[in-house]
Amino acid sequence: MSDESTTKIITLVCERSLDLRAHVNNLGQLKDLPDVEIVKFPCSGMIQPLMVEAALKSGASGVIVCGCQLGDCYYREGNRMIRERLLGQRPPGLRKTVDRRRVVALWLSRPQAARFISEAKEFIELVSQLDKPGTDVNQSTKPSIDNH
Amino acid sequence: MYTQPLNKVTLALEQWINAVVTSKYNPLYYHGALPQFFLWVLFLSGLLLFAYYVPTIDNAYSAEKLINAYTTVEYITHIPFGATIRGIHRYAGDAMVIAILLHMLRVWFTDRYRQYRIVQWLSGIVLLLLVLFIGQTGYYLVWDERSLALTRMTAKSFDVLPIIGEPLKWWFLNGQEITNYTLSNFLFIHIGLSFSLLFGLWIHYVRMQRPVLTPPPVIQFMLFALLSILLLWYPVTSGSMATLTQQPTAFEVDWFFLWPYWLMTQMNLQAYWLTIVTGVIVLCMLPYFVHTKEVEAAEVVTKKCTGCSLCSRDCPYAAIEMVPAPAGSRFKLLATVKSYRCSGCGVCVGACAFDAIDLPNLLDTDLTAKITASAKG
Repeated sequence: MSDESTTKIITLVCERSLDLRAHVNNLGQLKDLPDVEIVKFPCSGMIQPLMVEAALKSGASGVIVCGCQLGDCYYREGNRMIRERLLGQRPPGLRKTVDRRRVVALWLSRPQAARFISEAKEFIELVSQLDKPGTDVNQSTKPSIDNH
Repeated sequence: MYTQPLNKVTLALEQWINAVVTSKYNPLYYHGALPQFFLWVLFLSGLLLFAYYVPTIDNAYSAEKLINAYTTVEYITHIPFGATIRGIHRYAGDAMVIAILLHMLRVWFTDRYRQYRIVQWLSGIVLLLLVLFIGQTGYYLVWDERSLALTRMTAKSFDVLPIIGEPLKWWFLNGQEITNYTLSNFLFIHIGLSFSLLFGLWIHYVRMQRPVLTPPPVIQFMLFALLSILLLWYPVTSGSMATLTQQPTAFEVDWFFLWPYWLMTQMNLQAYWLTIVTGVIVLCMLPYFVHTKEVEAAEVVTKKCTGCSLCSRDCPYAAIEMVPAPAGSRFKLLATVKSYRCSGCGVCVGACAFDAIDLPNLLDTDLTAKITASAKG
């Protein structure tokens, strides 16, 4: 399974935002996109930037962070907190060495699973471009965290 | 959870509004700030009305120079912008009740009213009752026929209450019967209780680190425009002046504030009070009808905490207090969790770069291990 071409994506998701039960298999992977692993949190505010770094360091090609619609957090401010942490507006932030192109944040509510899957597909495509040998990995672009 | 279908409806509605105006300007995401906005509008417009209002019921003098509550209200209505201010005050009151109901329904539908939010729910019920009563006293102040009828109905409704009924009636009328003192008392209740709303709101907000108190300017302008349209289309007017010797029988009912009086006409007064008291008790008990597992509060790992206070700053419920660190510690402060305020959301875990705070049932080390394992696999 672990050949070079696999694009492993870790999704850190608030369990109150997306209802992915219909789309996930027993292993916690998306049925349509088995390379996308789902890790659930009680609130996206619990996600530590360190976890995003850990995922990328251990070989994930990209990380999707998913919380509720901005303005609507069950716990008031969780999604705002992780958004500001990822953008570096609130400590603790992401380390500077983290490739921002490999992190995306989505703010989706419970019925938006289809939207999530299409966004994930797009993200996989983007990240697999980065993984191709010969691509200049150090070329920096803006973080895509506000893409909601 | 029995609220789930309602939650779905709410989310679907918000989804639809988000698609039109984006989440930043979705008024439903400022449902708590809307009543607060109307409260400021009411305070300001009320202050202007207060400048002209004379709280007396005198009508014994010649009709031309008569100065009493009714004629001063008429006077306000006829000076430049007077009718506008009066209309804003009236319709902002109605809008405030609508906004409060919206706020209440949303927190109920989305299951955000129980457990660590109990203080907000209970204080919210008290605030709602206060707002309704303050609004009713506003209708007494105009002193037209409706005011007289409402005053008499209220006084009569107190008669049936055992023990507290008599003193309540005395307090309400400021004496045995309707006099000038009655109206000055109404004015005091109307303004005095309005200020007590601020105390109630303090309790309502105290368990939130950053309560959302103001909707974005765009929404404020829109609401203001809405009020203006309303008062241009339906200018506020009074009925004819109240006369103590007459008993008015029929009047227009403002359904937001005056529905209790409609209720009074539908049943006998004992049944009326029973309905009101039962209704309030049911509202207060609502959070206890649902049983879910208790919140497991976050716990600080005392050895690791550096006292940086990031968790305390980020906690949405003001549940983490920084206390002086015990003697012998390398650091000045130590985070402590007030478990009765904790929602178990884990925002503090996300805020901690030292792994010094944990949700006991979901360790972040386990989550990180899971993440690294699946990234490798």
